Amino acid sequence: MEIEELTPTIEEMKRVLEGKIDESTLIEELNTYLNVYKVSLEAAKRGILRKYGGDSGFVTAESINKKIDALEGNEQNVDLLARVVFIEDREIQTKNGPRNISSGILGDDTGTVPFTSWESGKFQLEKGVTYLFKNLYAKTWNEKVQINLGSRAEVERKDDVNLGMPERTYSYSSHEAKVSELREGMSSVTVTGKILSVGPKEITSRGEKKTIYTGILADETGKVEFSAWEDFGLSDEEVIQVKNAYVRAWRGIPQLNIGDRSEISRVDDDFDDSMGIGESSIKSIGELIEVGGGLDITVLGCVVDLRAGSGLIKRCPECNRSVFNDECASHGRIVPVQDLRMKAVIDDGSGALTAIINRDISEALSGITLEEAVDMARSSLDSDAVSHRMEERIIGRWVKARGNAISDEYGLMLICREASLDQLDVKAEAEKLLKELEVMM
Amino acid sequence: MIRETAWRIFAGELNSSQLEMKGEEEKSPSYLITPLGAKVNRVLLAGVLMEKENIGSEEEPMWKARVQDPTGSFFINAGRYQPEASAALAQMEAPRFVAVVGKTKTFSPDDGRVFVSVRPERIVTVDEDARDRWVLEACQSTWVRMKALRSALAMDTPDENELVKKGMNPVLANGILEAIGYYGVSESSRYLRMLQDGLRMILPDQHIDLGLPGDDADLPDEIDIDPEKAGSDLDQEDLILSFLEILDTDGKGAPFADLQKEAEKEGIGAAQLEEVTNSLMDKGLVYEPVLGRLKKI
Repeated sequence: MEIEELTPTIEEMKRVLEGKIDESTLIEELNTYLNVYKVSLEAAKRGILRKYGGDSGFVTAESINKKIDALEGNEQNVDLLARVVFIEDREIQTKNGPRNISSGILGDDTGTVPFTSWESGKFQLEKGVTYLFKNLYAKTWNEKVQINLGSRAEVERKDDVNLGMPERTYSYSSHEAKVSELREGMSSVTVTGKILSVGPKEITSRGEKKTIYTGILADETGKVEFSAWEDFGLSDEEVIQVKNAYVRAWRGIPQLNIGDRSEISRVDDDFDDSMGIGESSIKSIGELIEVGGGLDITVLGCVVDLRAGSGLIKRCPECNRSVFNDECASHGRIVPVQDLRMKAVIDDGSGALTAIINRDISEALSGITLEEAVDMARSSLDSDAVSHRMEERIIGRWVKARGNAISDEYGLMLICREASLDQLDVKAEAEKLLKELEVMM
Repeated sequence: MIRETAWRIFAGELNSSQLEMKGEEEKSPSYLITPLGAKVNRVLLAGVLMEKENIGSEEEPMWKARVQDPTGSFFINAGRYQPEASAALAQMEAPRFVAVVGKTKTFSPDDGRVFVSVRPERIVTVDEDARDRWVLEACQSTWVRMKALRSALAMDTPDENELVKKGMNPVLANGILEAIGYYGVSESSRYLRMLQDGLRMILPDQHIDLGLPGDDADLPDEIDIDPEKAGSDLDQEDLILSFLEILDTDGKGAPFADLQKEAEKEGIGAAQLEEVTNSLMDKGLVYEPVLGRLKKI
């Protein structure tokens, strides 16, 4: 983007930031967000405001009318006049089974914002059409504003309104990124990687059945889930280059979308096994917090706490949800199934996350089997006896944990697929540090 | 709300901290800025539990404990709002290796000095390997901060945004700038010595000598003590002990501020006094009944 196009933005941001940042820094920041990370102008503005301490939001019970760039991510009830720039239907898994939702991007003359319509069947939104959206709520996922159409939402079609919105607000030349560099909101991105798996998936898109192709793409920096909205004839083990893909995030995990503007070419890249393609990537927790999540991640850190809900728990035999007092919210009075679980806070010095650890791994890490736990709880008459024993065995221990990292309103979580106590060659690491010190002295 | 990271930080650095950033809004966290720019709310520490004492009552215990690392001692206070840590401390006998996760707290007498303690969320027994791993991580993070401070000081005017642009973690960049503003330029040999002490603990067979001023790595300090120097240290200890007796007017211990004044008259500076009182504490001759007071045992 050229500087001239950005002048109104720069003026506006200078006003909001009230001298907390000088103009040259601001321009450089904008340049970094827009041209290095290729995020939208809106995302860039919000990112910069947050970094340098812009204003915080306010909430009123009455619905308020806003432009997209004024959204702060905490609105409970907001109206928007906006055009559907992009929309797709998707099926998500909820506790009550699969559910159809629609998501996409809304735009007005001030910017764009991702949205989700949770009552997919209620509104037949069309791409390219302008609507007045009423009673929406905004949330912040991974520091980015998202708009939600919930059960209270109302939508009015406004064919006669001209938003003064450019047909394509910004176009970027496609730029190359490694898998680990993919961030929510990037568009026109080029990625080269090996397809670890791919398969067709039936979805219902606006009342019509459609086949999309989903799978996992990997390079030497990590793995990413992709969805191809056309049949490109993709197959396992192929090395491909995807141009003009865009990145959306689901629960913080960046996902690569291969849409109708994307191109795919087969390349002769020498992705051999020595590069560690397909292996779990080791990340610092600080970096994961910044990105929001990731697929097949390994972290190393010290267990500094066990959260409530760790230890011996009861689950509904029907829906597997954890229950108290033999009563399930969906299934009423039940005979619960006993289970072991740990919610361990792992801290590596750069940040902390909650690792969700299932029965098998909890047994191995704590050395307490489910049967022993049941006996322990019965004989001690203390429902916390098991979690206390687990705390003694796991807090203050360094662990290596692997799984998918996701974000929600409680922060970053790692759904553990594997976890074990970590053995580090402390002496070798100390010698490495000593060498560095001696060089610097 | 993002959970505060547990900083790995040596006692020597933590206890030298004087600058606090209070949270402006309700429930917003407070931070302690260390001389090397760590912006600390929570710490993870490991070391030897040297002593513990219940200075509360049987019904309402208030545990004080001291955990030693290669550079000094962490002062731990756990009361009824730290139920897990209090219960764990009640079961423990010193000495043993422990790891502590907790929040930093400060106490400032009217004279403006700041005493740092740790209010534990968790305290657990660990093995020597875990202690060594913590010492390694504390060395690594101390070194990261020293380098960060160095690159900030290399600028004509240290600038937070510039540091972030160069790839520094924004939290650290903020802490570094606050630290430079308050403490000025910290003496790096002091922190290099902490690194040296930490690395010597992990690598006892290598005679690590970073060539710091006034340092002699070849002399094991427990055996070949310079008799003259040792003598003067012992004299100072006697002197401080006698001050403690005089200044303890109400039986609750001598206020540290008064002790410092008297010591200064005898030419014992603050750093020297800390060494002497630490040595006395190590020998079990004095203790801190409450923060900011010292009492003869």
